[in-house]
Amino acid sequence: MTMDSILSDLKAINDKYQMFHAMTSDTEAGDAKFLFSAKDNLTSMDMETCAGSRILEGYHPVFDATCIDKIRKAGGKLIGKTNMDEFGFGTFSTNSGFEIPRNPFDLERACGGSSGGSACAASVIEDHVSLGVSTGGSICCPASFCGVYGIAPTYGRVSRYGLIDYGNSLDKIGVLSQKATDLKKFMEMIAGKDERDPTSMVQPEFRTAYRRMGSVAVPKEGIEGLSKEVESAFKSALEDLRSMGVDVDYVDMPSLKFAMPAYYVLATSEASTNLARYVGMRYGHQEGDHSLKFDDYFTAVRSQYFGDEAKRRILLGTFTRMAGFGGRHYAKAREVRQVVINDYKRVLETHDAVLAPTMPFTAPRFDDISKMSALDSYKADYLTVPANLAGTPHLSVPCGYDSNGMPVGMQFVADHWNEDVLFSVAEDWEKQFDLRRPEVSI
Amino acid sequence: MKIGLECHVQLPTKSKMFCSCPTEDCEFPNTYVCPTCLGMPGSRPVLNRQVLVYGIMIAKMLNCEINDTTWFARKTYFYPDMSKSVQITQYDNPIGERGVYYLDGKKPIRITRIHIEEDPGSTKRTADLTSLVDYNRSGVPLAEIVTEPDIANPAEARQFLTQMIGDIKHLLQIPADLEWEVKCDCNISVGTERVEIKNVTGLKNAEKALHSEMVRQIAMIKAKKKIVRETRRYDPDRDVTISMRVKEFEDQYGYIDEPDLGIYHIRELADSIRIDESPQNKILRLSSQYGIDQKMAKQLVNTSMDLADLFEDVAKDFGVADAVKWVGGPISANWRAMEERDGEVDLSRLKDFIRDFADGKITDTQCAIEIKSYMTGVDASAAQEESAGLEALINGFLDENPRIVSDYQKNDKAANQVIGFVMKQTGGRYSSAEVVETAKKLIEARF
Ligand SMILES: [Zn+2]
Repeated sequence: MTMDSILSDLKAINDKYQMFHAMTSDTEAGDAKFLFSAKDNLTSMDMETCAGSRILEGYHPVFDATCIDKIRKAGGKLIGKTNMDEFGFGTFSTNSGFEIPRNPFDLERACGGSSGGSACAASVIEDHVSLGVSTGGSICCPASFCGVYGIAPTYGRVSRYGLIDYGNSLDKIGVLSQKATDLKKFMEMIAGKDERDPTSMVQPEFRTAYRRMGSVAVPKEGIEGLSKEVESAFKSALEDLRSMGVDVDYVDMPSLKFAMPAYYVLATSEASTNLARYVGMRYGHQEGDHSLKFDDYFTAVRSQYFGDEAKRRILLGTFTRMAGFGGRHYAKAREVRQVVINDYKRVLETHDAVLAPTMPFTAPRFDDISKMSALDSYKADYLTVPANLAGTPHLSVPCGYDSNGMPVGMQFVADHWNEDVLFSVAEDWEKQFDLRRPEVSI
Repeated sequence: MKIGLECHVQLPTKSKMFCSCPTEDCEFPNTYVCPTCLGMPGSRPVLNRQVLVYGIMIAKMLNCEINDTTWFARKTYFYPDMSKSVQITQYDNPIGERGVYYLDGKKPIRITRIHIEEDPGSTKRTADLTSLVDYNRSGVPLAEIVTEPDIANPAEARQFLTQMIGDIKHLLQIPADLEWEVKCDCNISVGTERVEIKNVTGLKNAEKALHSEMVRQIAMIKAKKKIVRETRRYDPDRDVTISMRVKEFEDQYGYIDEPDLGIYHIRELADSIRIDESPQNKILRLSSQYGIDQKMAKQLVNTSMDLADLFEDVAKDFGVADAVKWVGGPISANWRAMEERDGEVDLSRLKDFIRDFADGKITDTQCAIEIKSYMTGVDASAAQEESAGLEALINGFLDENPRIVSDYQKNDKAANQVIGFVMKQTGGRYSSAEVVETAKKLIEARF
C-alpha cells in the first residue's frame, strides 16, 4: 500500500477498527517521508487532543508534544490521534469517552489498554509506527493483545513535554510497530534531553549498537495465574530463546507482588492532582450554569464529563493523599517502589533481562470485560506494573497464538537506560518468529 | 497574647518561577502567560534556579538551618485563579527551618520555616457580580516566611514586619522606594484558641487587623463566649475581621511530592552564597564595635549603607572620635544633597579633608566647609557664608533662649525648637540634616 492509498482509505479503515478519535482529512502525503499516529494524550496543534476524555472535547492544543514535533521534523506525517482509555485509566481501552478500538484479530475483542488505538493502528496499517504512552503497562499490554512489538523506554528517556499526565513519576512515551527494527529507529528519533522536561535532562547516551542478550531471568512470581494457552505459548517461546543461545534461569523476585498496590497508590495520588485542572475553565467543555458559585460549577462540569473510571481514580487518589492516609499509604508506596527497584537491580546484575508473559491471558471479548469488576481488571496488569513502577525499560514481543488465533506476548525488562539490549533481542526474535498479520479488508 | 505570622514576599526574578514569562506588572490582563502558567494539559514546570538562590539568601539572613536537599510539593485546592488547581509549593524539606531573627537586636523571634512557592493568578469581581480572572501573576515566585507565635502584640508585629521587609529589600537589592506588596496571614490567640486572619495586604493593615481581632477576642472572653478556631478575613474599610470558614489544616490539602521536578541538592550552592550584613545587624554591630549609641548607628545605616561603610573606614584610619565628628556630622548632613548630584562625588576625597584636619593643616570650621562645598558643589566661600549665616542665626536664637541648652541636657527633643525657628526663618535654604547637625553642635558647645 502506498501512503496515498492509506490516506484515502483511512476513514474506511477507521470505521471498521475505530482506532482514531481525530484523523487528518488529507488524502495525499505531500512531502512526507512516512506516516505515523499518536496516542490522544500527546498534544498536537493540528488535531483535537482529548486524552480519551469528554471533558477535553473540542480542545486544540497550542503546542506540539516534543515527540510529535521531532517525528514531524524527521519527515513524518501525523495521520491520527488514537483512541485510548480516558487519561490512560484502563487495561482494555473500553474506558474511553469516545470510540472503543476493536482488535484486528477479532472485532468482538478488545485491543488492550490504554494505548489500544495505537496498537490497533500499528497492527492494521502497513509500515506504520504509532506513539503510545505507558504508565502501568499501557504499551506492552495492547502490543501483546494486538500481536505487535512495543517498547516503553526508561523513565526520563523521552521528553514528556506535551504529554497529558496520568502519573507524572510513571508516564513514559514509547512506540508500537509490526517491525522490531522500527522500534529502534523511532525511539532514536524521539529520545534525548529536552529542557522543557527536567526529568529528561539526566539521561545518559542513547545506545543503538547491537548488544546480544545472553541470559534472561524468569521470576517464579511472574508465571503464576496464567491462562493455559498463554502458559504453553510462553514455554515454547522459552525453548526458542534457548535455541537462539539465550540462557534461561528461574529466579525469585518476591517484591513483584507488592508492586501492584504501591503502583495504584502512587498513580492515583498523582492522577487526582493532575485531573484537578479540568474544571470547565480555560479549555475543553465550558458550558453549564455560570451563575453558580465556582465550586458548584466545577463540580457540575466534573460530574458530567468525567467517566466512571476517572471518577473512581480521582476518589481513590484523593483518599490516599488525605489526612491520616497520606503518611500511611503514599509514603509507604514510595518505599515499596525502592524495594522493587532494588529487586530488579539484584537480578539484573547476573542477567540481561527479566522475562515473563506480558499479559496473563489473550485479548478478552467485550462481553466478558463488561462482567469484570474494577479490581479484576486492575489485577490483569500484575505482570506489566512492576517494571513501570521501577522505571525500567521493557519491551513486548509477539510470541505465539492461542487456539482462537489471538496473539500472545512476552515482555523483556532490562536495567535502566539499557534499551539497546531490548532492541537487539527483539530484532533477533523477529528473524525467527513467524508473525501473523490480521486480515485487513475494507 | 500570642501572634505568629506567615509572610509572603515576592522574589525579584525577571521571569516566572516555572516558565519564561516576565514577572513585571502589565496593564492588560492575561498578557504575560504561556501554556505552563496557564496550566494547559501537557505543559510542565521548569524551575528558575534564581528562585532557589533568593530563597537561600533569605534563609541565611533569618539564621535558618538550610536543608541539604530540598524539593517541591503539590498543594491541591480549587479556586478559579489557580490555573492547575494545584499550587507548586514546599512541604517536607523546605529551603530553611529553625531560624531566629532579632527584633531591634534584642528580642528573638523564632522562624519556623521559609519555603518558596508560586503565586496564583488574581480574581476581580465586577459590579454586576461577574468574576474576571487574570493569570499575569500566575507562577510569580514568592517566599513564605513562617514565625513561631513569639510576637507579643499588634504593634510589635508591625515593627517586626517593617524591620524584616527592610532587611529583605536590602538583601535582594530591591529599590527602597519600590512599591513592593507584602501579604500576611496573621495568627492570633488572646486566650487559648487560635484564629487566622488570611491575606492581609501591607504592614499597616497587618497591625490594624491584629488589633481589631485582639479587641474582638477580648470582648468574647469578657462575655464568657467561646472563641472558635477559624479563618477570618480583614475588611480595612470597616476595620473588622469577618469569619470565612472553619480553619483548614495543612493535611487537608493532600500534599504529594511534585513529580515533574526533582530533588535539589543545595548544600554547595548554599555554601557558595555569601550575603551582605543586613542593615539591622549592621546597626547592632556598629554600636557595639565602636561604642556609639544605637541612634547614631541607625542614622548612619538608614541614611545609606555607603555612609555606614565610610564611617567604618574613617574610624579605622583616624579613630572613632573623628568618624563621629565628620561622618556623623557634616558628611551625613550633606548626604542627600550629594546623592542628588548623581555620582559626581568621590567618597575617598572626603577622607583627604579629614586627613588635613587630623594633620592640623586646616581648622575644624574649614574642614566642615570643604566637605560641604565638595559634596554639594557649592563653592567654598559661598558655603562658608551659608554656614556662617546658619551658625549666626542659631547662636542668636540660643542667646535669647538659654533654657533650651539646659532642657536639651534632659531631653534632646529640646533642639526641635531651634530647628523649627531656623526652618521658619530660612524656608528650606538649608537641608534639614544640616540644620539639625549644626543646632546640636552649637547647643552641645554651650554645655
Ligand atoms: Zn508562563
